Amino acid sequence: MRALVVDDSRAMRKIIAGALRKLGYETVEAADGAEALKVLEAGPLPDLATVDWNMPVMDGLTFVTQVRANREYRALTLMMVTTEAEHGQIVRALAAGAHEYLIKPFTVESLEEKLSLLGLLPEGAQA
Amino acid sequence: MTELVEEFYDEPTDYVEDEALGQIVEAMWASYFAHTEFLLPSYEQHDIEGDILAASVTISGAKPGIVTVSVERPLAVPLAAALLQEDGELEDEDVYDSLGEVANIVGGNIKALVPDAGSLGLPVVSTAKPLHGASDRLAARLDANWQGQWLTFEVWLAGGSENGQG
Repeated sequence: MRALVVDDSRAMRKIIAGALRKLGYETVEAADGAEALKVLEAGPLPDLATVDWNMPVMDGLTFVTQVRANREYRALTLMMVTTEAEHGQIVRALAAGAHEYLIKPFTVESLEEKLSLLGLLPEGAQA
Repeated sequence: MTELVEEFYDEPTDYVEDEALGQIVEAMWASYFAHTEFLLPSYEQHDIEGDILAASVTISGAKPGIVTVSVERPLAVPLAAALLQEDGELEDEDVYDSLGEVANIVGGNIKALVPDAGSLGLPVVSTAKPLHGASDRLAARLDANWQGQWLTFEVWLAGGSENGQG
């Protein structure tokens, strides 16, 4: 399986991508929503994108909205991974088309649980 | 108890307090630094002087504020290495980015405690603590020791009235 990790923090991209690779994912990274859209345009389409909210150039909510507006990307599962912890923000992200929401700080176990709920744990990975 | 701490406890407390800040930092440590030495909170202040690296994020909205984490510069390197779980030499960009992400995580969770909070700014890392307005108020502070050195987390709310709205 293939995952796109979208976060303006190099550190957080390393943490998330590292956790996903341990689960068996191939990963590709983008530093903002605009860069992530270019990755999608270039293909192949990932199975999962983890998306930070606060990023320069294009924020995560705009990215989610743009992905959901494109029918070619409907197979892509979107998980917000962000420090935006208010209930209202979670509702906004889900309404825009995100499938799951994970608040930083998170543990690797909580990431695995979310992926399990989404049916996106690669074969052989344990939740 | 230092003068600053006495001042803080004389102020009206609201929304963000030391305990909440401590819980957020503790959760972050458990998630990303559990494989390292314990973070040991202190009841006393330990002002970081000299070679400082500070990361901050702003909170906009009805209750604007700023969240900062400050360390002695040499501590920023093992902090980044621990966050990234890397043993090798780190680039400066990784060190600054890691400290910024620590501030970002704390700031985002603090924002969730503030009623009518607007947006969270992007992290800014500098070699000095951010300046504050004369009416800004220290709402919460955590001094903690890690690997024998000190970190300071602070939440400042913009002043302008008794309840801190500005």
